[in-house]
This record gives sequence, structure tokens and C-alpha cells, in this order.
Amino acid sequence: MFKDLSIKRKLYLGFGAILAIILALLIIAYNRFNSLSEANQWDRHTMDVIQAIDGLRNDLLQVQVEARGYYLTGTAARLDRTRKEQRDIPESIQTLQKLTRDNPAQVTRFSKLESMITVWSKEVIESQLVMREQLGNAPGAADAMGKTPQLASTANSAIGEIYKFMDDAAAEEHRLLLERSAASTSLQESMRLVITVGGMACVLLGALVAWLLVGSLTTPLTNLTAAVGRIARGDQGARAEVLSNDELGKVTTEFNRMAQSIQDSQAKEKAVSDELRAKVDSLLGVVSKAASGDLTGNIEVTGSDAIGQLAQGLDRMFENLRSLLNNVQKAGIQVTTSATEIAASAKQQEATGIEQAQTSVEILSTTKEISANASQLLKTMEEATAVADYTTTATADAQGNLRRMDSTMQHMVSATDSINAKLAALSEKASNINSVLITITKVADQTNILSLNAAIEAEKAGEAGRGFSVVATEIRRLADQTSVSTWDIEQMLKEMQSAVSASVMGMDKFSEEIRRSVGEVRQVTDQLSGVMDQVQKLAPQFDAVLQGMQSQAVGAEQISATMMQLNDATQQTVESLKATSEAVHQLQYAAGDLQTSVANFAVAV
Amino acid sequence: MKLLVFHIGVDRYGLRLRDVVRVVPLLDLKHLPLAPEPVVGLMDYHGASVPVVDLCLASGLPPGADHFDTRIIVVDYRAPEGTVHLLGLRAERVQGVQEVRDDQLTESGVKAAPFLGQVAGDARGMLQMVELEQLLTPALRIALFPNAGNAGSADDSGNLP
Repeated sequence: MFKDLSIKRKLYLGFGAILAIILALLIIAYNRFNSLSEANQWDRHTMDVIQAIDGLRNDLLQVQVEARGYYLTGTAARLDRTRKEQRDIPESIQTLQKLTRDNPAQVTRFSKLESMITVWSKEVIESQLVMREQLGNAPGAADAMGKTPQLASTANSAIGEIYKFMDDAAAEEHRLLLERSAASTSLQESMRLVITVGGMACVLLGALVAWLLVGSLTTPLTNLTAAVGRIARGDQGARAEVLSNDELGKVTTEFNRMAQSIQDSQAKEKAVSDELRAKVDSLLGVVSKAASGDLTGNIEVTGSDAIGQLAQGLDRMFENLRSLLNNVQKAGIQVTTSATEIAASAKQQEATGIEQAQTSVEILSTTKEISANASQLLKTMEEATAVADYTTTATADAQGNLRRMDSTMQHMVSATDSINAKLAALSEKASNINSVLITITKVADQTNILSLNAAIEAEKAGEAGRGFSVVATEIRRLADQTSVSTWDIEQMLKEMQSAVSASVMGMDKFSEEIRRSVGEVRQVTDQLSGVMDQVQKLAPQFDAVLQGMQSQAVGAEQISATMMQLNDATQQTVESLKATSEAVHQLQYAAGDLQTSVANFAVAV
Repeated sequence: MKLLVFHIGVDRYGLRLRDVVRVVPLLDLKHLPLAPEPVVGLMDYHGASVPVVDLCLASGLPPGADHFDTRIIVVDYRAPEGTVHLLGLRAERVQGVQEVRDDQLTESGVKAAPFLGQVAGDARGMLQMVELEQLLTPALRIALFPNAGNAGSADDSGNLP
């Protein structure tokens, strides 16, 4: 528990304990002093009482003295003084009673004394005073007085009792005084003892506290110093023991942690340097392999530190070198292949040149055949020209016939128009007939009604009208017949009119067709004219073809000559191709050398 | 007995010739607004105004069409009071006069329109008599001839037998 406290608290606690012991000692000493002073006060009180008793005796003596003076002299001044002294006595007794209130035995004693004094004062002093007053200034008064019993006998008087009583009280007080001074002496003794023993205890306790404090402060420091010394000597695992929980304990803990972290960091540093060395070794191995020409070494070091970046750079460099060498090897192979291909194609070209020469000869013979064919074509063209001439004349005849047909058509159109006009006239006449027929119908109708009314009238006339009735019937029959005939005519007229309309329509259609035919004939004529023009144009074109043929023959001869020149050129080409072949062979050798020199590098990964 | 033969719709009917005054062609009639149903207008007959009744309408058929043989038959109408009035009848296909013997006439036996009378049959089919006295209903008669009692004697005395 004491170990868990901080240094400050330890100090407070130690000094607090010392202070508490001193305080306890002081309180005890103070108490003793208080008791001692009380005892002294009691001593003084006792002395006061003794003094007051002496005062009272003195007062009594004074009263006796004054009274006796009065007895002797009988002067009024003496009497007054006696009275005055008498008056002081109760006061003195009261003072005594006040002082001895704490002692009941003394109080009763003093009350008894008071009554005794009162009795004495009344019986002895007052009676004598009165006696002396009565004597007055009579001579011998003083003697008389002296002869009184009260003055004469001293032994057995009241005042003697009083004095004896008072001596008892004083003896009592002296006894008390002795008792009290003995108590105060014992008190002084005990106080000396307390101061001596308490002071020694204080010194001892202070020494103990100091020893404990020094122990708790110096032990951890010693431990710490020893641990530091061990670490300085190289013992990395040295640690100070933690003895307490105070500031020094914390310092020790922190020191231990510091020592641990130093140890850890040293271990880490060692691991890092080991790793670095391993990386550098691996890099060195790869670089050594590369120096001897083996580029297949793979760099396995990674990281973002300087070594990692160096490794990455080396890796990139090797990669570039590998790809460069690969490219160089590929290029060598390609150059070799190309050279071989060039040589082959040069040989092929040589063969082609020879073939070309042969082909030129064949072309020459073909050209001769072409010129023979051209002369045959010439004959055929002449025959075609004759046929074209014949076609021209035949077309001209057809054109003439068509023109005649056209004029006939025109005649037909005019005839159709006149027929149409006549039909229109016919239609008009029919309309006239129609109006006449309407008139006839009306008349017949009127006649019908008339005959009907006539029949009615005849009937009303009775026998006289019988003949008239017959006539009326006859008239009615005629009228009916007229109606019927008129209706027939009307029908016929209608048929005629419709026939005329149909004819008109037919004629219109017919003339339309004729007009269309005329147009077609004209079109045919025009087309024939076009044909004729084309045919007439054919003859000069045939001439142009003839001329072309002739120039073709000439061209064929020119081709022959050109082919001869071409043959010569081909020969020259063949020779230059042989020279090219030679150069390509040399290129092939060079490419082979390049390949072998690059092959020394191993690049396959 | 002679009858004036005409058509109402598709059937032939006859009117006694003694009742007929005159047959006149179809002419323009003066229309009579709000007149009773069969009356189609007024005609001018030699200065006298004569009401005209359409027989087709009177028979409950649609009004007759204007054919060329549609006529107006002017008849003497004898009212039950004994007065005689001129009356025009619009008839279709007025064909002519036909002789019908009394023994040819038989009762129709069927209760139809009140003005239809006896029937006679011949080669051209049945023919039914039209009884002129029954043609007009009492209400129509009062509408057409309101003052029959005193007007008839002055105008129609000449036509009485």
C-alpha cells in the first residue's frame, strides 16, 4: 500500500506523522500546564481566605481598641470611631463568606462566627458603651469601667471564644493549603515525565519516517543506474525491476519500454540489412550472368525502395536488351530469307527473260496472220456496202406508198364529217315530227272527251238521241284509233331518233380511229425516213472501217519490228539479273555472319 | 242502263249516266286550305264554282296520279233534303260508256265503303256501281253545302227533271 503512493504523498505522509506526534505532545503539555495554574489559583485563594480571617481579627481588635479608648476618655470622637469600626465587621464577614462559598464547612463556621460576633457586639460592646454614656464625664468613670466583669476577666469572655473559633478556621485553611501545594508538586512531576518521554518518542518516530522515505526513493534509482550500466556494457536484455507505482516506478517502466524498443529497432535494422544484402546478391547474380552473355536471368527483387527501383530499372534494361537482341536475330533471319528469296526471284526472272524472247518470236508470226485476216475482212466490207445501197432504195419506195395511204385517210375523215352533218339534220326533222304528233295527240284527246259528252247528251235525250249516240260512239272509236296510231308513230320516231344517235356516235368513233391511223402512218413514215438516213450513213462508215483495216496491216508490221527490239532488251535484262544474283549471294553470307554473332546471346526466358 | 266507266286504283267502277252532267279534261284547281280530306279544290264550270272530290282519297287510297285519261266528272248531287248541287269527281282512266243490263247486277253482299253498290261481271272483269247519294258523309256535305235549303232552288231549277 505504501508502494502505490507517489513520492509527494510519501513526503506529505512522513512529515505529517512527525507533526502529529509533536501536536499530541503539545496538547498533553498544555493540559498539564492548565492543571498546574489551577492548582496555583487554589493556593492563592487559600491565602486570600487566611488574609481575610486576619483582617476580621484585626477589625475586632480595632473595635476593642476604640471601645476601650472611649471607656477611658469618654469622648464622642472615640465613640464615633468605635461605631464606625463596628460597621466594618459585617462587611469583612461577608467577604469571608463570599470567598469560602465552595467550602460548606467553612460557610457554616463563618455564619456561626457572625452570630457569635453579633451576640458579642450587642452584649459586650453595646452594653459597655451604654454604661460609659451613663457614666458620662463623672470622675473615675474610667476606673469604673475597668472594673466591669467584661473587662476584668479575659479568659472566659465571649471574645476569647471568637478568637479561638477564628484560629480553627485559619488552621483549616492552612491544612487545605498544604494539601493543595502537594497536588501541584505531583502535577509538576508528571509534566516533566511527559515532556521527557514524548520528546524521545518524537525523535524516534521522525528517524523512522526519514529512514523509510530515503529507502523508497533511493532503491529504484539504484536499480535504474545498475540497469543503465548493464545496457552500456552491451547487455541488451538488461531491465530494471519495478518496485513501486510512483513516479520512479513509471520512470522505470518507461526506461524498460525504451530499452525494449531500442532492442526491437536494432533487430529490425539487422533484418533490413540482411534483406538488402540478399537482394543485392540476387541482382549481382543476374548481372554476372548477363555479363557472361546469358540474358535469361530473371530479376525477382521488387519494392518501392532504391534497391526495388534499381531492380525494376535493371529488369526493364534486360527486357529491352532481350527484345533488341530478339529483333536483331529476327532481322538476321529475315535478311537471310529475303536474300534467298531475291536470289530465287532473280533466277526466275532470268528464266522469264528467256521465255519472253521465245514469246516475241511467236508474236511475230501471229502478227503476220492478222494482216492476212485484215485483207479478207476488206472484201466482206465491200459486199456489206452493196447491201446497204439496196436497202436505201427499198425504203424510199415504202415511204412513197405510205404518203399515198395518208392522203386516202384524209379523204375518209372529210367524208365522215359530212355524214355527221346529215345525221344532225335528220335528228332535227324527227324533232319537228314529234311536235306535230303532240298536236295530233291533243286533238285526239279533245275528240275523245267530246265524243264522251256527246254520248252522255245523247243518252239524256232518250229515244231522240239514239242515232246521235251511235255517231258519238263512232267518233270516239276514231279518236281512239287516232290515239293508237299516233302512239305507234311516236314509238317509231323514237326508235329512229335513237338509231340516228347511235349512228352519230359510231361515226364519231370511226373518224377518231381514222385520225389515229393517220397519225400512226405518219409515224411509220418518219421512222422509215430515219432508217433510210441511217442506212445512207452506213456507206461512209464502211469506208472508214476499210481504211482502219489497212492501217491495221501497217500496224502489224510495226509490231513485228518492235518485238525484235524487245527481244534484244530481254537479253540485256537476263545479263543484269545474273549480276544481281551474285550480289545477293554476298548479302546472304553477310546475314549468316550476323546471325551467328547474335546467337551467342541466350535470350529465351 | 248505261254507265260511265272509270277506275279507282286498279278496279273498275260505274256511275249512272243520268247523274253525269259533263266530262271535262283535268284542269288547274283552286286549292282550299284546311278543307276536309277528300276535297282537292274548286273548279270553274261555266262561271259557277264547283267543289271537286278525289275518288281515290274518298276510297282511302293515295291521291290519284295525273294521267292523260284522268278527268273530272261533273255530276248532279242530290242531297237528302232534295236540293241538287253540282259536284266534281276526280277519276282515273275514264274509259267510256258501257251498257249494263239490270239482270247482270247483283248485290255485292259485303259491307264496304257506304257509296259502293251492286256489282256486274263481264269479259273485262268485275264492275261495281258507285251510289252518288252515299258519297258524301253528313259532315262533309254540311262543309261543302252549308246553306242547302234556300240556295238550291235558284241555281239548279233548270237541271231538275
